[in-house]
Amino acid sequence: MYHNSTQRRHWTFRSEDELQRLRLQANTRCRARIRAAGQAPLQDAFSLDPHEELTICKYYEKKLQDFCNAFKPAMPKSVLGTACMYFKRFYLNNSVMEHHPRIIMLTCAFLACKVDEFNVSSVQFVGNLPENSTTQENILEQILEYELLLIQQLNFHLIVHNPYRPFEGYLIDVKTRYPLLENPEILRKNADDFLQRVALSDACLLFTPSIIALTAVLSSASRAGINMESYLLECLSLKDNRETMTHLLDGMRRLKILVSKYEFARPEEVAMIEKKLEKCHSCDVSFAGNV
Amino acid sequence: MEQYSLLGRIGEGAHGIVFKAKHIETGEAVALKKVALRKLEEGIPNQALREIKALREIEDNPYVVKLREVFPHGTGFVLVFEYMLSDLSEVIRNSEQPLTEAQVKGYMMMLLKGVKFCHENSIMHRDLKPANLLISSSGLLKIADFGLARVFSNDRGRLYSHQVATRWYRAPELLYGARKYDEGVDLWAVGCIFGELLNGSPLFPGENDIEQLCCVLRTLGTPNVKTWPIIIRFLSRNTVLSPPERIVPDTSPEALQLLMRFLVYPSSLRIRAAEALLHPYFFREPLPAHHSELPIPQRGGRRSRQLQREFHTEEPVCDSLVDPGLLSDFLHGL
Repeated sequence: MYHNSTQRRHWTFRSEDELQRLRLQANTRCRARIRAAGQAPLQDAFSLDPHEELTICKYYEKKLQDFCNAFKPAMPKSVLGTACMYFKRFYLNNSVMEHHPRIIMLTCAFLACKVDEFNVSSVQFVGNLPENSTTQENILEQILEYELLLIQQLNFHLIVHNPYRPFEGYLIDVKTRYPLLENPEILRKNADDFLQRVALSDACLLFTPSIIALTAVLSSASRAGINMESYLLECLSLKDNRETMTHLLDGMRRLKILVSKYEFARPEEVAMIEKKLEKCHSCDVSFAGNV
Repeated sequence: MEQYSLLGRIGEGAHGIVFKAKHIETGEAVALKKVALRKLEEGIPNQALREIKALREIEDNPYVVKLREVFPHGTGFVLVFEYMLSDLSEVIRNSEQPLTEAQVKGYMMMLLKGVKFCHENSIMHRDLKPANLLISSSGLLKIADFGLARVFSNDRGRLYSHQVATRWYRAPELLYGARKYDEGVDLWAVGCIFGELLNGSPLFPGENDIEQLCCVLRTLGTPNVKTWPIIIRFLSRNTVLSPPERIVPDTSPEALQLLMRFLVYPSSLRIRAAEALLHPYFFREPLPAHHSELPIPQRGGRRSRQLQREFHTEEPVCDSLVDPGLLSDFLHGL
């Protein structure tokens, strides 16, 4: 149940500002540590600022999503959602300068498969990487090394509530109780796109899965030119509950803004930051030694 | 780890060694379950993940063992549980006389409350058995070992493994190899445990899976369209039935009636934990015993050894006689 979940208690934040503050702290902590490790002038040149960190995270979030979508055997959406959520939670309190997102991203997907009981062997898992088998083995080794760090940074809160199931629930509800809509299945395509974008944005750290699902249904309907307000009023019995209704509408509006203002990371920018990041990691021998 | 001082080994769990330890600051006794990761190709074992997943998600409940914390240690990590003295299998094995009806009711109440809590939190345990029901020093029963637990989601088409649950407590649908099942498998196990508490011995002690099925069939009869509508043609049709009164003799009618509400073929017809708690069985004299009135055996059955009267019929009589020479020193002053 979401209501008494660790997700609600520990990983749902009040505002975007709060997320920003956490990320800023993680960035500051890491930079301070680098500086304390010596070689300050050199290190400073390679350090990433919070905005750069965010850009690089965005880039790897997209890569993570692409990896999951292309995964063979086909990966259930909930695994993808869980993996994205792990990645986001991890970098709320950690910096890409300390832990490279390339490996964290794969570790997140690996752990999500296990936690969500999508049973693939480790060999099968890395088999999905384009690299040759020797490199795959190396990567697997790194994943296994990072797995413990990851679950620790997740504070051992492993269960993620995704919006996909509530979405199916709403769709069934619409089919059975809302005859005004002739073929609710037409909502699916646009709703899927919406939920894909949601997984990339910070929505899952700010909104409940059910509100995300409901927004997916309603925004997909409105794109098809259907107004479903009567569904909220009649079927969800919000007619006599103005306050909840206002609250809900406000939440959905904020969510839609958040999702629509999402921008992909610009490739040229990513390329530049990646270069910096590689340098940062290549001289972290002294850094790691001092932590 | 520095916060704890190890006191000794308790046993070996499915995924690591369990130690008794003391939390230095509070002096509280805890059980440390060490999960090692070395040489494991698949990384953190699924069983450990399931246990963490289930126990981190639920809030405290007096009838579910408490996971106090998790911390990394060496190449693995350590799960810290509250320390429990014993488990129900030891209680059943070691009580010198059969448990009284009030005591059985007391255990059943606590078990059902724990199961109700798990199911309300969408967790099916899948391996309920007396050895996984721990007994605290104050006599409380707590459900433990969530290594097979699944957080159920009523997802259509989600398939589960049927190789779960210890055989004697395995629900018939699992014995038939079902891959879609629900929390009813726990309720079947509750029924088996109930029977074991009443009898002092396992209800369906099958030696292997086929025999396990026979054990069940002998009591409940071959399933037919009426008793298990989904199962239609399986196995032979003419199993000899032994009526339930025969498998749990000397039992009150209410106990028998409740028992048979758990042990029914269709999972959906098994009485749910919440409903079972309201069964007349618990409201008739003798009333359920308070947990302080329940036996608390020591771990390792120390207490039972004290109580055991051993008679060696093969030993020569003279060996058990006292040599007066040995006693003379003590008799001197008399």
